[in-house]
Amino acid sequence: MADEEPVDQKKYLEEGCKPKCVKQLRSYEACIKRIDCDESGHKHCTGQYFDYWSCVDKCVAQTLFSKLK
Amino acid sequence: MAGGLIHQVLRRKFQSHSAVQALSWFTSRKANDDAGSAGMRTVALIGAGVTGLLGFATVASADEAEHGLGVPNYPWPHQGILGSYDHTSIRRGHQVYQQVCASCHSMSLISYRDLVGVAYTEEETKAMAAEIEVVDGPNDEGEMFTRPGKLSDRFTQPYANEQAARFANGGAYPPDLTLITKARHNGQNYVFALLTGYHDPPAGIRGGLHYNPYFPVGAIAMPKMLIDGAVEYEDGTPATEAQMGKDVVTFLSWAAEPEMEERKLMGFKWIFLLSLALLQAGYYRRLRWSVLKSRKLVVDVVN
Repeated sequence: MADEEPVDQKKYLEEGCKPKCVKQLRSYEACIKRIDCDESGHKHCTGQYFDYWSCVDKCVAQTLFSKLK
Repeated sequence: MAGGLIHQVLRRKFQSHSAVQALSWFTSRKANDDAGSAGMRTVALIGAGVTGLLGFATVASADEAEHGLGVPNYPWPHQGILGSYDHTSIRRGHQVYQQVCASCHSMSLISYRDLVGVAYTEEETKAMAAEIEVVDGPNDEGEMFTRPGKLSDRFTQPYANEQAARFANGGAYPPDLTLITKARHNGQNYVFALLTGYHDPPAGIRGGLHYNPYFPVGAIAMPKMLIDGAVEYEDGTPATEAQMGKDVVTFLSWAAEPEMEERKLMGFKWIFLLSLALLQAGYYRRLRWSVLKSRKLVVDVVN
């Protein structure tokens, strides 16, 4: 049988969950733009990053295990 | 009297939901208070308590990264009142541990014989054990010697001691994994999220170590180890990152709680039996007390 590289299920679901978490993603991107011009090195977007990944994780967790053996 | 005042004060404080209310209450109370030093002490205590509470509120939101990203809860097949381990998953997970993790992480509380009947047959386990060399002795001449492993031997340790482990890993100690799923809060979900959660760091974060949002502070010494195809499963299951993560966490869960299946069976049986016993005991108690509870008392007052 033609055995292509198996796609990682988690990555695949994370891509699929991106549209559900657009608000957090836009908020994160806005933060990146805001701190782009900062050179002090103290500003970071961890908060928005966490909000985005929290949303994606919750969405992925619902279906991931049904795709695994 | 001072004790009664403090008790009343504490009760009032817990009943009001906003600090402002509490403050205005005790200032009006203080105006009416003529107990002198006892009142002042109470005022000072409340003031300290309120500022402490308010202080907490601002600190908690500032250190998100220090707690690590919150971990999602996955529907593990072995969770639930009567859920049992997926033993093929344990077998695959042990393979992942051996090939990916054992080079740095010890599992010093597990012996080869623990695997018999759980993940491998006795012959398979004996063959696996025989592949390793174990230091034994002293022999009759007083010397230590090496021999092939037996079922009763513990898993081999990659480093002789913690210092050697730290030295080989840039100061970081790869923890022993036997009890790791019990040693971390929400351990199973945490380990799975950690292993499969290596993402690019958020904008503005740089650092020498690897970034993992689930690890407290985010800077972890371990690089991403689960890569698609890193292991070739014996049963032909595609070895994706998520699959390996699930299998290795199932293996680690078994390693930390090998008694889980027996415990759940015992628990179910005894909770059921004791509930029946409770009903019987309740009925019998009410039966015996009914005599006293249906007494009639007559007060016969002689004027």
